[in-house]
Amino acid sequence: MTRARSFGLVWPYLLAVALGSLLGSIALPVLSLVEGSTSTPLARVGFALRENPSASSATWAVLDADLPVVRSSMAAPQREVFDLVVAVRGLDNGGHSDWARAEKICGTLSWPRCDKDALVQLKDLSRP
Amino acid sequence: MKLPLDKRAYGPLLVFSLAFIIGFATTRGPRARFEQAIVQLNDAERSALPSLPGVTVANAVWALGSDDAVKNMLRSELDRLPETEGRARARVLVRFGIIDSNPDGQAAVFFQACVSDPSLCERAPLIAAAERETRARLVEPGRHLPLYLLAGHP
Repeated sequence: MTRARSFGLVWPYLLAVALGSLLGSIALPVLSLVEGSTSTPLARVGFALRENPSASSATWAVLDADLPVVRSSMAAPQREVFDLVVAVRGLDNGGHSDWARAEKICGTLSWPRCDKDALVQLKDLSRP
Repeated sequence: MKLPLDKRAYGPLLVFSLAFIIGFATTRGPRARFEQAIVQLNDAERSALPSLPGVTVANAVWALGSDDAVKNMLRSELDRLPETEGRARARVLVRFGIIDSNPDGQAAVFFQACVSDPSLCERAPLIAAAERETRARLVEPGRHLPLYLLAGHP
């Protein structure tokens, strides 16, 4: 069997795996939109912000599609501050803070303090 | 009679179905738990959720923001919050009073806070509220109680 022929046999399966898992993972958000979900992206992000940061990674992963929606609803400079909160709370990182990114964002805001000690305190102080 | 679906398509179709189910199950579990946790909140907590991202941003600016950033944030918060949100407006006004350098301005702002939230009309609760806010601020100005609250209005 030639290499081209064996590829010809395998690619429909590879395509099926890729397409199936993609459609399967977006089916629920699409269904929620069509049927009217019990919560909105703003509410889910709001819920994550008031929850304990030690919540499971899977819970935070649900927010991946919600964060850009919330971000786009804000105007500058609140948008950049929201990015900072996302970084210190680790909303897009399984609840793990990204201090390097937080310091960078804080620097662009030209705030008086952007050291890690201040950002660690910000993690708690920003909680609603 | 020829079959409408080629036999060779059955394998990929089966794989597609399995991948779809796995993808669906992977997202359904955490999402369902998330939705369930939100449903378990009481009505007031649930209706407050959409405002929490804005509150969090305001808290972050208050904690570390520069003087200008704080003033801009407080102005936009007062524009955003309706009169019916008395306690939230009062909190914003208390923050405004803390960073206002003019005692007359502080008096006027704290009076507005009292109008928004009558529980702050007494001196002791107003000072307690202001102390909570100064503890939540990590940079100057705003880390200390204002003169108006320390000494009373001159």
